[in-house]
Amino acid sequence: MTKRYWEDFSAGQVEEFGRRTLTEDEIIEFATEFDPQFFHTDPVAAKDHFFGGLIASGWHTGSTLMRMMVDHQFANSSSMGSPGLDELRWVSPVRPNETLTAKSEVLETHPHPKRDDRGIVKFRHTVLNGDGDVKMTMISNVMFGRRPEEKA
Amino acid sequence: MSDGIEYFEDIEIGRVLEFGSKKMERREIIEFAKKYDPQPFHIDEEAAKDSIYGDVIASGWHTGSVTMRMMVDHMVNDRAGLGSPGFNNLKFKLPVRPGDTLQVRSTVMDKKRSRSRPNMGTIFGLVEVLNQKGDVVMSFESLGMIKARTLGEDD
Repeated sequence: MTKRYWEDFSAGQVEEFGRRTLTEDEIIEFATEFDPQFFHTDPVAAKDHFFGGLIASGWHTGSTLMRMMVDHQFANSSSMGSPGLDELRWVSPVRPNETLTAKSEVLETHPHPKRDDRGIVKFRHTVLNGDGDVKMTMISNVMFGRRPEEKA
Repeated sequence: MSDGIEYFEDIEIGRVLEFGSKKMERREIIEFAKKYDPQPFHIDEEAAKDSIYGDVIASGWHTGSVTMRMMVDHMVNDRAGLGSPGFNNLKFKLPVRPGDTLQVRSTVMDKKRSRSRPNMGTIFGLVEVLNQKGDVVMSFESLGMIKARTLGEDD
């Protein structure tokens, strides 16, 4: 695959990729370190909570989406990091052994306002399970280097 | 109430809390990123030297997750929280570098009782993450659902 630069992204592009199942042990391990609320770490106590069972930390779901994005969208690219996210929504709980996939839509692209060697791509990413239920949505901005030969 | 747990009515707009102290070790930055964000400038010390950052920097998801941990340890469990629908306007303002020590400043910006379910409400917060120099490295606008003590006829 040829390396992807900022010029290779354009509004309207849609990609679907990734396949990742979070096990109960993985959900508990992540949450024990980063989000130790009982409905993320204790399957028994979680049954009596309003989610009705153990659910993944939203930061675990987000980090898992990031891994899918890196593996499938950014691995061979000029990605230079992100200035931030416009919006993130945890739409429905992620439960153990659900298989997560990702959908990516490019909303817009624009050159970096100050640096002529890079541009910004605004994405909407959606995390879905195997039944197509939406788990999380996110609008993010990612910096990519511009293709060198097209530099002025 | 005597249990020390705060409900919707107890949260004062304008209140500022500062808490947490988390040193970001080089091996932790690389380990997290190898699992969740394996881009060269997070995991490869040689490649990172040639990047715009000059050394490995923490994945934003690592900084966010560490922030969540500090919020759970110092704030979340003191409130009758009902989870969060998400957040808005998250900015990665400065790179988080190996050896940086992070803390959180959380400000209550607004609160709104739910019209459809008046036994709960939403707290709108500004969460800022600072490094040891006092520079804000990350910020976001948090949304937190919380139980109310009453149905709010007196609000």
